[in-house]
Amino acid sequence: MSHNAVVIGGNRIPFAKSNGPYSEATNHDMLTAALDGLVARFGLSGMRMGEVAAGAVLKHPSDFNLTREAVLSSALSADTPACDLQQACGTGLETTIYIANKIALGQIEVGISGGVDSTSDAPITLSDPLRRTLLKASSARSFPDRVKPFTKVRPRHLSPKAPSVTEPRTGLSMGEHQALTTESWGITREEQDAIAAASHHKLAQAWESGFFDDLVTPYLGVARDAILRPDTSVEKLAKLKPVFGGPQGTMTAGNSTALSDGAATVLIASEEWAAEHRQPVLARIIDAEVAAVDHPGGADLLLGPVAATGRMLARQGLSIGDFDLVEIHEAFASTVATTLKAWADEDYCRGLGLDGAIGTIDPSVLNVTGSSLAAGHPFAATGARIVPTLAKLLQERGKGSRGLISMCAAGGQGVVAILEAV
Amino acid sequence: MPRGTVTLDDLPGLGPSFARALVPSREKVAKVPAHAVSVLGYDQDPARLARYARVCGFTLRDTVPPTWLHVLAFPLHVHLLGAPEASVRLVGAVHVSNSMTSHRPVSASEPLDISVQAGNIRAHRRGALVDLDARIDVDGERVWEGVSTYLAQGMQASGDSVETTRDEFVPELPHARWRLPAKLGVDYRAVSGDPNPIHTNRLAAKAFGFPRPIIHGMWTHARALAALDNKLQAPYRVDVDFVKPVFLPGTVGFRSWATDEGWRADVTTKDGAKPHLRMRVSDLT
Repeated sequence: MSHNAVVIGGNRIPFAKSNGPYSEATNHDMLTAALDGLVARFGLSGMRMGEVAAGAVLKHPSDFNLTREAVLSSALSADTPACDLQQACGTGLETTIYIANKIALGQIEVGISGGVDSTSDAPITLSDPLRRTLLKASSARSFPDRVKPFTKVRPRHLSPKAPSVTEPRTGLSMGEHQALTTESWGITREEQDAIAAASHHKLAQAWESGFFDDLVTPYLGVARDAILRPDTSVEKLAKLKPVFGGPQGTMTAGNSTALSDGAATVLIASEEWAAEHRQPVLARIIDAEVAAVDHPGGADLLLGPVAATGRMLARQGLSIGDFDLVEIHEAFASTVATTLKAWADEDYCRGLGLDGAIGTIDPSVLNVTGSSLAAGHPFAATGARIVPTLAKLLQERGKGSRGLISMCAAGGQGVVAILEAV
Repeated sequence: MPRGTVTLDDLPGLGPSFARALVPSREKVAKVPAHAVSVLGYDQDPARLARYARVCGFTLRDTVPPTWLHVLAFPLHVHLLGAPEASVRLVGAVHVSNSMTSHRPVSASEPLDISVQAGNIRAHRRGALVDLDARIDVDGERVWEGVSTYLAQGMQASGDSVETTRDEFVPELPHARWRLPAKLGVDYRAVSGDPNPIHTNRLAAKAFGFPRPIIHGMWTHARALAALDNKLQAPYRVDVDFVKPVFLPGTVGFRSWATDEGWRADVTTKDGAKPHLRMRVSDLT
């Protein structure tokens, strides 16, 4: 039994800079706000969804059931089941694929995917030796046994550890990895700053035109994406100092995403359910693929989506020119630039086991309402920001319009998907 | 077992052996004992193995890293060189290269017959080179062997001095970076038992001409091997050259690449300009 999974719509809260307007809000708070906005927009109050899947990259141990707890705080029926799923920066797209697959298989008729992250309320953990000491003490049976482990605690064990976006196997941060990629692919500062400026200008224009009015609900007094700088320019960006790649580096705070807070959700259903409930239908979820590269072995950390794109297109019998719109997640401006270069590189693509280069696209189809550089990037939420945005854009372009989403993620991974306007 | 083997009841403690190894030798000519020394049916300590794996970056598995087996043989190195007939002293000798062959995966629960013999003394322009040959058998089957080559600086050996040839080093940007905390020497001492104070104590390091403590070469070797852990399947041989010591605390770079024989890896300065350790893994299947 196979069904078409369609995107009905989405809802997110405006994204904001770390330690900004959402500094007091937790992942639970923000995910609940995004869910409640979705419930209000589509009249889902008290309804039982087949399932809600969401996740966060930076997660407190007490949030082991983050999504279910947010559902219980939301206006959805308390009978709605939920699960947490985590695929680094690809989480919001991976949860969408998960819900769409269940719908396609007929296991559920309607579901919600999403993601949330707070870099303001990030978990702080104990040092490894102190954590092991506490575990040892708590499993001891007698008082002396319980006290003994503490004699081994040293002052240096007491300092808490903040989370970092460092790849565990290489010790390099994502920006440092991307700096290696930027250099080896010869991406210039000018290219990167141009991508960043365009992202801000396009997002500002989309807000101005009211495009996000039915995609975003204000939260805690924030009505628009707070990282957005409509008046930025290539000239202003050119003044910033490099933050990755050393003093000669080309990557700055302006052409890299800012640490962000935010949450996003997507409402997905079978075409039958949507018709029965008189819900609008934006786009069908056609296909998806996840890929990974051996970054500890020296592969480019954030080029995981290239192999995923190539394999998915081959399976669908599509070429890159068949897409009316393309969304490449702007982890860094240089991620977008290197992805485009890699698509066009015959040798690189063959090295991934593809039949040849993926090809080139008309720049006018890329990230037409801006992307993460301007909107911000609350890690797990970004995929669930992109899916409804692209679905709405495709629907505006008319039935049959096709869109591609390409998202890089930590661990050398990449998540990609195809949407098609209904 | 080679002829003339002295079998010990258990692995000797490293403290007393080291104390003897610290006493300077007055002899100029490099000499080592002719006999081998062995321990039979040695039971591995799973808790210590877990700590070793954590300090070196290995995933804790049912089969053990080959560098762990070196750690188990090391007390016998020290014991042999602490013998009265040895003129080479381990403290002050420089571990210049190491080779080990993993014939098959070794389980953490297998009792090990460990034996070590010293020999192959040859001249070097800076002194004498000596090999410590370690072998590990399980039920009469050779599962692992290792050759540790030490340079006894300023000592003499007969014959022409041997020149070790090394592959050309090509500076390249590392694709990983390891931050080595000041306490790493203490942490590795706890799991390896190697009490040499140049790894943990600033004054001791100074006494041997180093501005700061240096991390054990066998930690760097283990860490580099751990980075390739999932790509290696016994039987294989791994050779390392210890080119330049790594000071603590410090940051080093790492890069690895596949070759026709297996893998190559370099631990370098953090900018990739100079090598600390060079490693070759040869697949023996």
